[in-house]
Amino acid sequence: MTEKKNQETFNPIKTITQRTFRKNRSRNLVAVLAILMTTLMFTTLFTLAQSMCKNLIEMTFRQTGYDAQASCKAITPEQAEMLAAHPDVKELGQSIVLGLAENRQLGGRQVEIRWADDSYAAHSFAAPTTGRMPQSAEEAAMDTITLDRLGIPHEVGQKVTLEWRKDISDPDAEPVQAEFTLCGFWEGNQSGYASMAWVSREYADAQTQGQLSTGTEDGILGLYMVQVSLYSDNNIEAAMDRILADTELDGLEYGVNLAYSPEMGATAIQETLPMYLGMALVFVAGYLIIYNIFQISVAADTQFYGKIKTLGATDRQIRKLIYGLANRLCMIGIPVGLILGWLLGAALVPAFTGIIESGGAVSVHPLIFTGSAAFAWLTVLLSCLRPARLAGKVSPVEALRMNDADTPRRRKTKRSHTGESLAGMAWENLGRNRKRTVTVICSLTLGLVLLSCFYAKNTAFDMEKYLAELTIADFELADATSGNYIGGYDPQGTTLGKDLVQELETMEGVETVGHQYSHQLVWQFDDQTTENLKGFYTDALLADWARYDPAGVDAFHHAVDTQEMNAVVFGLDGIPLDAVTQPQYVMEGSFHPEAFSGGDYILAVGPAIAEKDGHPVLPVPSVGSTVTLEGRSYTVMAIVFPLDPVDRGASEAGAPEAMEQHFILPTDTFRQNWPENTLRKLFFNVDDAHMDTVQNWLDAYTATVDTSLPVTSRQSMAQQYEAETRSTAVMGNTISVVIALVGVLNFVNSMVTAILSRRREFAMIQSVGMTRRQLCKMLVYEGLCYAAVTLVLSYLISALAVGVGIRGMVAGGFTTFRFTLLPLYICTPILLVFALLIPFVCFQNLESQSIVERLRMD
Amino acid sequence: METILKTTGLKKYYGKGETLVKALDGIDLEIERGKFTAIIGTSGSGKSTLLHMLGGLDIPSEGSVNVDGTELARLNSEQATIFRRKRIGFIFQNYNLVPVLNVWENIIFPITLDGRKPDQDFILQVIRLLGLEKKLDSLPNNLSGGQQQRVAIARALAGKPSIILADEPTGNLDTRTGDDVVGLLKMTGREFRQTIVMITHNPEIAQMADRIVQIENGRIAAQ
Repeated sequence: MTEKKNQETFNPIKTITQRTFRKNRSRNLVAVLAILMTTLMFTTLFTLAQSMCKNLIEMTFRQTGYDAQASCKAITPEQAEMLAAHPDVKELGQSIVLGLAENRQLGGRQVEIRWADDSYAAHSFAAPTTGRMPQSAEEAAMDTITLDRLGIPHEVGQKVTLEWRKDISDPDAEPVQAEFTLCGFWEGNQSGYASMAWVSREYADAQTQGQLSTGTEDGILGLYMVQVSLYSDNNIEAAMDRILADTELDGLEYGVNLAYSPEMGATAIQETLPMYLGMALVFVAGYLIIYNIFQISVAADTQFYGKIKTLGATDRQIRKLIYGLANRLCMIGIPVGLILGWLLGAALVPAFTGIIESGGAVSVHPLIFTGSAAFAWLTVLLSCLRPARLAGKVSPVEALRMNDADTPRRRKTKRSHTGESLAGMAWENLGRNRKRTVTVICSLTLGLVLLSCFYAKNTAFDMEKYLAELTIADFELADATSGNYIGGYDPQGTTLGKDLVQELETMEGVETVGHQYSHQLVWQFDDQTTENLKGFYTDALLADWARYDPAGVDAFHHAVDTQEMNAVVFGLDGIPLDAVTQPQYVMEGSFHPEAFSGGDYILAVGPAIAEKDGHPVLPVPSVGSTVTLEGRSYTVMAIVFPLDPVDRGASEAGAPEAMEQHFILPTDTFRQNWPENTLRKLFFNVDDAHMDTVQNWLDAYTATVDTSLPVTSRQSMAQQYEAETRSTAVMGNTISVVIALVGVLNFVNSMVTAILSRRREFAMIQSVGMTRRQLCKMLVYEGLCYAAVTLVLSYLISALAVGVGIRGMVAGGFTTFRFTLLPLYICTPILLVFALLIPFVCFQNLESQSIVERLRMD
Repeated sequence: METILKTTGLKKYYGKGETLVKALDGIDLEIERGKFTAIIGTSGSGKSTLLHMLGGLDIPSEGSVNVDGTELARLNSEQATIFRRKRIGFIFQNYNLVPVLNVWENIIFPITLDGRKPDQDFILQVIRLLGLEKKLDSLPNNLSGGQQQRVAIARALAGKPSIILADEPTGNLDTRTGDDVVGLLKMTGREFRQTIVMITHNPEIAQMADRIVQIENGRIAAQ
């Protein structure tokens, strides 16, 4: 032997790390799995949080209609030019409004006829994706929603006719009929407040005759608007003020895009808060298992550490060894976890953002990966902090004596006269390493308790309660203008024609029906009502109201001063009348159907407050007082709650801006007074067997005959709700299942390592006479003890958490609390089976070596 | 002769009151450089505890240990570790080889832990003397007990320590192999002028040493 050994590359700690890592494959597998799961959950949560944030901002942009930072409505083209020239202004988009399209088929959807430059169109999410912006007077571009409503195929070159009025405040103004050639279109978004129909500058100038308005005059024809894009999103208001000062345009009114407001950021944080909470839980669960794994491996390797310590390894070198092992495990677990987590997140995003139209964009922000990796790594490092310190502290002499118990404990042992029972031994064995037992039980219990809580919270939701407030019938059809808050409701609308109503009401399966008519008039009210109004709207309430609706407060003062306001009278029968007069919705007085149908009584609609909320009076005419409407007097029978399906809807077209009081009359009385008014809403219930037939009939009708017919069905409401809440349900269940899984992994790992590390001990007790059967039984008892303690704790804590925490959390709203521990009932047998199976399988494995072999083991 | 190791009033007590165990009860011992000393005693006589004290593995309750001019009691755990790997070579009853390292790596392990470069010529000389040259790439598990103990001897010698402490080096070996191993230990010690302190309960093995110290009940009974 003369060959010299190459020692240059020999780094003892590195070499040992490498080889120990390779040697302990099964142990590594468990650790890698734990790290992988932790990373996976972090990545999933980060992906979801990021994507939700992104989608939320996108959605707000679409709702506000544009993504530029600010907009100005009272500005002249000359001023706009000055603004555009400022160095801080990135882009300036311009538009001229002509009017609103009033084609019958567009009922309920606002379509604005405008000219805009490319920048304005692009920042309004309304740049043609097919074709181009209009250039000549005959051309127009619009979104697919408008095209669909008008029944025009998505093809450039199609003829489109738009109807509009130059003066929208005058219902009798002569409508303009203009035919255009479609030169471009784009995918419309339902969540936007309006659709755009772009026309050329040439057409716009011809219509406005070059007269641009700056929003100060009445009407919208020729209204000139700009959108200002800045380079930075920070402190938009200050930036705008500075730009205005620089351009000597101080005082120019502008609006900051709501999507950029700090409140939006706060909302985004609020929406994603559950994710961060989830991350904290994952952190705890991840810590519990990774800590346990390292604790176990350090305990198993104590002798080894003691050995290398006697040979001269310092504390630091031993810690380095453990961190080295942890890092190697991370190098496998984290990347795989990142990929799987992102995929899982991507799969879950659509479920989470179901509410967002055209949403579901999955974020691939680098922060997701760096953040998750950092979090997972931090979890691992924190988890091995203590084990590493323990290993470093191993005293060489102690190491030679140490076995798999945490600290040498001198306990007084009770001696039973009948000898040690197997179950007793099993119980004692659990106590040998208390820390580990506690860790495993905590980790399992955490998963189970979370699962119970999420489940209880989700089941507490009461769909019936929710639907009862939002819909009162299986189907609700309305006049196309019923929800037209801009143009106003047309009391002589033709959407719900006689033929349609008759066909629906006689359709097979229709059980009950109901109707709503409405009429608006100016109403002079009495002194008592004035007092009631003053009594209800206290200064504090008015101040609060003024914060979000100063115009409303002005209208209130005007009403009180003049004793005059708008009255909307609904004529109701059948379903809506029955719904609104249910005892829980009668706020004051009482309802007597027979007397009411006589025509001398009226119902006043009260404010949307629960149980009077401590208000001394309601701001409506008192029960028993007389209300005179267009010459006819009625006695107020009761005050009812403004039930959404009955009360919701736009004011009548052309009505003056004023405060509104709603009343309810029987249909017959209403029809006598205002025979010209057509049906506003039709309600009907269908038996379950015919639900689908009716739905299909309506779908076909709205697709082919009248695209503007607004249909609300109970089914679609339920689906909408599910889409809105799926996120929390999926989220909660995913987190708790993964945490429970981590718990099970922890349990399996602890059981397996505890058994394997005691191979010699088992051989010893077998050699002194314990039979295979007895040993196996003892191991199974140990597993059962684990399971039993976990279950008892889980039941106790879950019962408490569900009974107190969840009960409090779900109070109010659309929920009915039900005490349930169903997830625990389901998990109980599963856990018990695991508790039986794992020791049994381990024991089989153990048996493959003879007693002598195991006794000899080092 | 120069004294390389000296203990003064060395005591190690465990527990207190009724359960007080006096593992060492006042040991004054001087060991000269280059000598092969055997410490003998029955089980529980305190000889292993004494060896741990000499190697700085355990802290005395009272008294001091001075190795080659260094007062071990003054060192903290980190310093003690570093002192140990530089100045003391250990040979254990159960060899204490690192199972994942091969023979060569085991031999140079304490030196490399210290960040030093092994003196290759010297180590190869030791290896040849111990007859391990064909086993350098083997893992400890593939060696016989005698071979493993020879690796441990090589490891103890490799760092040229001030003193080699051997704790029952023959305990796990049959008589013949045990004799061979101690023979080798004595031979290499003489060859490289090493001071060796060996613990044994076997009087025959002890006879091979230059000097025998007998411990009983934590005290030196005869020397």
